[in-house]
Amino acid sequence: MKTTCFIRVPSFCTPISPIIRKHLQKSFNKTGHYNQNHISTLNSAQTSISTSPSSPAPSTSHKPQTPVFLRPLIYSSTFPDLQSFTSWAKTLVSSVGSTFVQLDNGSDSTLLLRELRWLLEDSIDDPSLIPHLGICQNGGITSNTGSSSTEVVRLRVSLGQMYQLWKQRIQERRPFQYIVGCEHWRDLVLSVEEGVLIPRPETEKIVDLVGNVVGGNEMLREGLWADLGTGSGALAIGIARILGKNGRVIATDLSPTAISVAKFNVERYGLQDIIEIKQGSWFSPLVHVEGELDGLVCNPPYIPSEDIGSLQAEVAKHEPRLALDGGVEGMDNLLHLCERTAAMLKPGGFFAFETNGEKQCRLLANHMENEMTGSFRDVNIVSDFADIPRFLTGFCD
Amino acid sequence: MVSRCTHLNVALKFAVVLSSASSASPPFKISTLNLFPCIPTARTWSEIHATQGNKVFSTSPHQTTSATGCDDNDSNDNIIGRGFLRLPDEQLMGQCEMETFKASGPGGQHRNKRESAVRLKHLPTGIIAQAVEDRSQHKNRASALSRLRVLLALKVRNAVDLDAYSPPHELLLILPAKSTVRALECGPQIKPNNPKFVLGMQALLDLLYAVKGSISEAAQFWGTVKLSTGALSRLILSDDQLRMAVNELRTSMGLKSLK
Ligand SMILES: C[S@@+](CC[C@H](N)C(=O)[O-])C[C@H]1O[C@@H](n2cnc3c(N)ncnc32)[C@H](O)[C@@H]1O
Repeated sequence: MKTTCFIRVPSFCTPISPIIRKHLQKSFNKTGHYNQNHISTLNSAQTSISTSPSSPAPSTSHKPQTPVFLRPLIYSSTFPDLQSFTSWAKTLVSSVGSTFVQLDNGSDSTLLLRELRWLLEDSIDDPSLIPHLGICQNGGITSNTGSSSTEVVRLRVSLGQMYQLWKQRIQERRPFQYIVGCEHWRDLVLSVEEGVLIPRPETEKIVDLVGNVVGGNEMLREGLWADLGTGSGALAIGIARILGKNGRVIATDLSPTAISVAKFNVERYGLQDIIEIKQGSWFSPLVHVEGELDGLVCNPPYIPSEDIGSLQAEVAKHEPRLALDGGVEGMDNLLHLCERTAAMLKPGGFFAFETNGEKQCRLLANHMENEMTGSFRDVNIVSDFADIPRFLTGFCD
Repeated sequence: MVSRCTHLNVALKFAVVLSSASSASPPFKISTLNLFPCIPTARTWSEIHATQGNKVFSTSPHQTTSATGCDDNDSNDNIIGRGFLRLPDEQLMGQCEMETFKASGPGGQHRNKRESAVRLKHLPTGIIAQAVEDRSQHKNRASALSRLRVLLALKVRNAVDLDAYSPPHELLLILPAKSTVRALECGPQIKPNNPKFVLGMQALLDLLYAVKGSISEAAQFWGTVKLSTGALSRLILSDDQLRMAVNELRTSMGLKSLK
């Protein structure tokens, strides 16, 4: 079992000093029984990652994990011990340098240090301690000044777990968001875990696009919307919060893990009366509302199958293939969605799809124009914040 | 009394105060303010100065509507520079060029990198504000925008006619509650953590620039409002950025820093 090899140091890491090594061993032993649990959760999560998209996991009820920042403060440590953790974690980070960037355009040490600060933010009761732990506000390194009090610091995860989590971050390239169990997305903090796609900042814009169309359109604002392949529920929640009081959203996904995590997030934002979550493949949970939708959004899996292996390790090794793989050209799901969208939407209904970029946007726009003449109007390619043509929007005619 | 702003061309509505050696008269000179020591800005103030010159802008923003609901009876000449701060967020954003990190690759589902830095360039003034430390793009945008408001307050100077001066409403709002007249007219004192504080801060700096940094002189221009130099100093010291800006001005005038 990988995770039991606690002190294993990757070849690119500088050796850990004997003092820290002893400390690691100590905190590991202290929290041994919890770690055991944690390891088994990890393993089951890893099994579910390797499930191939063609054979979706059976819809057993999945119990969503609680993100670190929402866990009770049942652990404690001392300030010096926390300082040792921080400097150990920083040593790991500096040993990474630009290795990940060169390997697969992964995170550099500045970003990793920022993540380290966020891990501390989520784990520690009193975030005002963080500046004294030797991490600068924007992730840079500051000197270890400040109090060296032996006061007890209350924690949401044990110090032993923090060592383990950070080791997973660096050695296994486990995504930071799975480490802390959440992602900050727009003004939301969404729970995520292995088996659910971490919502991307690019996708935030779909909510703005919906905001623009509902702004001057009462029918759309008070209407029935659908978010297909909702994952963590990000789009459904973002949209539910900008609709009028009669607005409704149906959020669907094929993955049982996504369904349970989306449910957790929807309830945390108190939107269970507005968002209905349904499990099933694309339009099949929506047959009862055919032709009645006022809006439809979807960020379907769009990466060409052959590209998946070469993605950043955090994505390729840890995020669910079911959420990424769009078939040979990456267009399988987009084309399928496009075929049925006209039948699902009311006349005047709005749609927005996210794509892999300019090529897919153009292919899809051409397909709508040539193969589905007269079904749509005002079809538009919209760029993301990095100026990459990313979204296709339009209305049902 | 003669207006102290003799160096101002009458047609000018407001001035952007930039750092480094410039040909402008002393009241329009301020040395580099390092407001966010942890955040490396892509261009320093002096670089901005190099590309823009110590440009004094007289173009008006598209909108000068009041977003504060506080009408003041100032001469209209003064409203332009302040207009920026009164714009609602979307309109101020509309005057900005937003730069986020340029994705080195296809983005979207391909990547998981927490680079959500946002850099806003306010086109009418060339002022740049950025935010990198928040965990979502959305929040970084909001932080950058509120930082831009602070920078606009610190850097955009409105001409003040000392002869006809009466403290604008937004300035009264940030005064301590004890000041007799403000207590009657306004609600509770607006503190530095309130987003509306920047409007008062800008008006206060406008006055202080007009009197070349002298606190005791500034305290004479309050008409019916009774404000001691001590109370004015305390107000200035209550906000770090305001204190730094005032001390930069005072240093450049050969005056002692407020402590
Ligand atoms: C790229 S993710 C998007 C998740 C979320 N909407 C977001 O933007 O963060 C694609 C989602 O589609 C789901 N999915 C894949 N195939 C599906 C299918 N046939 N029917 C419904 N959902 C599917 C995946 O489980 C995944 O949650």
